[in-house]
Amino acid sequence: MIKRVEINYRGIFQKTLAKRIGGDIVIIASRMGKVGFSNGRYSDSPERNGIPCKYFAFVSPDLEEEELEAECGAKLDIDEADVSVVVDDTMVKGVEPWGWHGVRPINEKVVEKGCLLVVSRKRHDELTRFTARTPYSYRLATIDGDASLAGLWVFKDDLTHERVLGAIAAVDPAIIAIDAVEAYLLAKTKQEHRARAAREAYDAVLRQTSVVTPEQGIAWPHETPELPPWHAFEEGAVVRAPARHFEMGPGGQSRNASFKRGTTKTLRPVIRFDLCISCTLCWLDCPDECFDPVEGRLYDVSYAYCVGCGKCADVCPIPECIVMVDELQFDSDASPWEHYRSDPDGYTRWAEEKKGTARYAYPHVTGTGFEIRERESVAPKDLG
Amino acid sequence: MALAQEIQVWDREELLTGCQAVAQAVRLADVDVISAYPIRPYTEVMDSLSKIIADGQLDAEYIIADSEHSQFEIAKHASAVGARSFAGSSGTGWMYGFEALVVAATDRLPVLFLVGNRALDDPGAFGVEHNDALAIRDMGWLIMWATTAQEALEHVLIGYRIAEDKRVRMPMALAMDGAFLTHSQHMVKLPTGDAVRRYLPPYDLGERRLHPDNPISIAPQVNEDWVMELRRQNWEAARRAKQVIAEAYQEFNGIFGPRYAAPYFTEYLTDDADTVLVGMGTVAMPARTAARRLRDQGHKVGYVNLRWFRPFPSEELRACLERFKAVGVIDRDFAHGSPDSGGVLLHEIRSCLYPLRERPAVRNFITGLGGRDISIGDCSRMFEIAMRARDGDTADELVTWIGVRE
Repeated sequence: MIKRVEINYRGIFQKTLAKRIGGDIVIIASRMGKVGFSNGRYSDSPERNGIPCKYFAFVSPDLEEEELEAECGAKLDIDEADVSVVVDDTMVKGVEPWGWHGVRPINEKVVEKGCLLVVSRKRHDELTRFTARTPYSYRLATIDGDASLAGLWVFKDDLTHERVLGAIAAVDPAIIAIDAVEAYLLAKTKQEHRARAAREAYDAVLRQTSVVTPEQGIAWPHETPELPPWHAFEEGAVVRAPARHFEMGPGGQSRNASFKRGTTKTLRPVIRFDLCISCTLCWLDCPDECFDPVEGRLYDVSYAYCVGCGKCADVCPIPECIVMVDELQFDSDASPWEHYRSDPDGYTRWAEEKKGTARYAYPHVTGTGFEIRERESVAPKDLG
Repeated sequence: MALAQEIQVWDREELLTGCQAVAQAVRLADVDVISAYPIRPYTEVMDSLSKIIADGQLDAEYIIADSEHSQFEIAKHASAVGARSFAGSSGTGWMYGFEALVVAATDRLPVLFLVGNRALDDPGAFGVEHNDALAIRDMGWLIMWATTAQEALEHVLIGYRIAEDKRVRMPMALAMDGAFLTHSQHMVKLPTGDAVRRYLPPYDLGERRLHPDNPISIAPQVNEDWVMELRRQNWEAARRAKQVIAEAYQEFNGIFGPRYAAPYFTEYLTDDADTVLVGMGTVAMPARTAARRLRDQGHKVGYVNLRWFRPFPSEELRACLERFKAVGVIDRDFAHGSPDSGGVLLHEIRSCLYPLRERPAVRNFITGLGGRDISIGDCSRMFEIAMRARDGDTADELVTWIGVRE
């Protein structure tokens, strides 16, 4: 028997977190007398800010290590996962790690009766409205918390790591058992609160697990590109640019159809076109050239290509004109400017509703190593 | 041939070193971009070219790089934007630019680079050894060895024609033995510009040319989902090159007269031979002379001068060597730790002969390393060892070092 765990994480910000979770699964499993190993998906570029990446952990109670390696390690991606961990809930909208991969469902690898385990404060129906429909049922479990985002060489000690280990023990004890998780954390750190965090997550996840049926989820809207055979693409490693056109309006610029990168974002810029003073800064400074000039000296944004870096909101001189908002609040990448043009008042009301009244300070500190914190929010007027 | 009568094909004869002959060929090929960085024995090519340009005989960009790596990159990029490009180097300089050499092949850019063969340091040595050019043998390059200055000149033209052909578009390495060919002066016939223009069409990279009017990017970063297909494309180009090479020689003979009986190798005194030596480069002179003298003594010996190393002419060479009882392979290189502890050419030829039901006996000679001279006597010794193998004598080892102090 083989148990496969994948940890979906965001490049740079969560690489160390994912690696620790994967590694500790192996250590705990081996202390339980099992064989295991862990690796990262080699095709990923985890040094890119926010790009969706994967870490794996494989555990078996009965296979020789070499056989486990041959079954799991020789493959660059897995075909199925008993548990798919998601350490940032905005990835439930789909993941596109590199060009010609397509935007794939976050639950693509979860097997029947397997578990999608998400770090999220959202209700389960707020997550399954983005996941792909499957022909079978699987489980959805959530760990209450915000995405733990750190840097490539630093690790944010906010107990997410310990809590995910406890949660994995809850959703599939055949991978690791909660007693072994606690014993390991205690032995390693001599800090009881870490073992306690794992146990509390274990208890909470047992309560926060639901079954996702074939009726839930959406018909997946993105196609998976088909890689051409060797004789069916240009020689000399040539990549032809999309046809150039510079018309005004949405989609007016030439963009790479085979790598959109929009799944990189956790926040998206919401624009109040009625406040815009046409200063051009968002259009000028966007590192990914996501803004399109449109009529009325306004700038539309292409959400499919926006990576949510926040630069536009940063450079916009008008308070409340561009505000970064949680990506999970949005179902569509359609042009906001077209929405605004067809219904200016309706759009502005909609935008304000999405923005809400709280403004969050980023990056937010999600914990201190001893406690898990709520996000710090500030009133819009205090943001200056 | 009809064409040869229409225009004057040969201009004048000049006393030229191998390097100067190549420089004259670069002028005749109307090369657009030349990147240069000095290292002996290649240096004389860049010296000659700078004078040719200064004298107003060639209109080309002449760029002196800070190193061979930049030098090759410059030529590679110039080729990508549609300029016929030339560069060259030797020994460790060639190796220093290795990254650009590999990339030029994958990006399928038909530059022509001269390799003035030189031993790889240490010890610092100027003399010929083939390991520098052989280092790119698995990288997707066209590689050939010239035997004379005349042949080198003609193969700059033939080389560009093959490399730039739409069916091929692979980089071309023209190798010349350091000193023995690069620095030796011989009378060389220069073709006329009219004849060269008739033979060598203008360089046209077509839809792959990097230009604002043709927006493409080349050399992307890819994952494991593309590399195998790119390698497979490279191999297909090398396969197509066989046909293009045949056409290039046929056309060359048509314009310039019957100069090459066959593209890949030239046979000498082989018609009734039972024993032959095979080699690449200037060793042909003492080897052919030794064959003549042994013929005078009644021995049925001959010489096969291998010109093209990549693509390796397996079928053609197998059909040739099948006729003999013994084959002595001359290597001006040594493949350290190789299966037979012999030379690179030995392993290629043994592999090429393997499908035969009855294979000729094979002997290998490691000789002329680091510029050591190979005498007529050395070649006679190689023939003698090969003839003993022909007679079934197993006293000699598979590999013999010829000319090493014992």
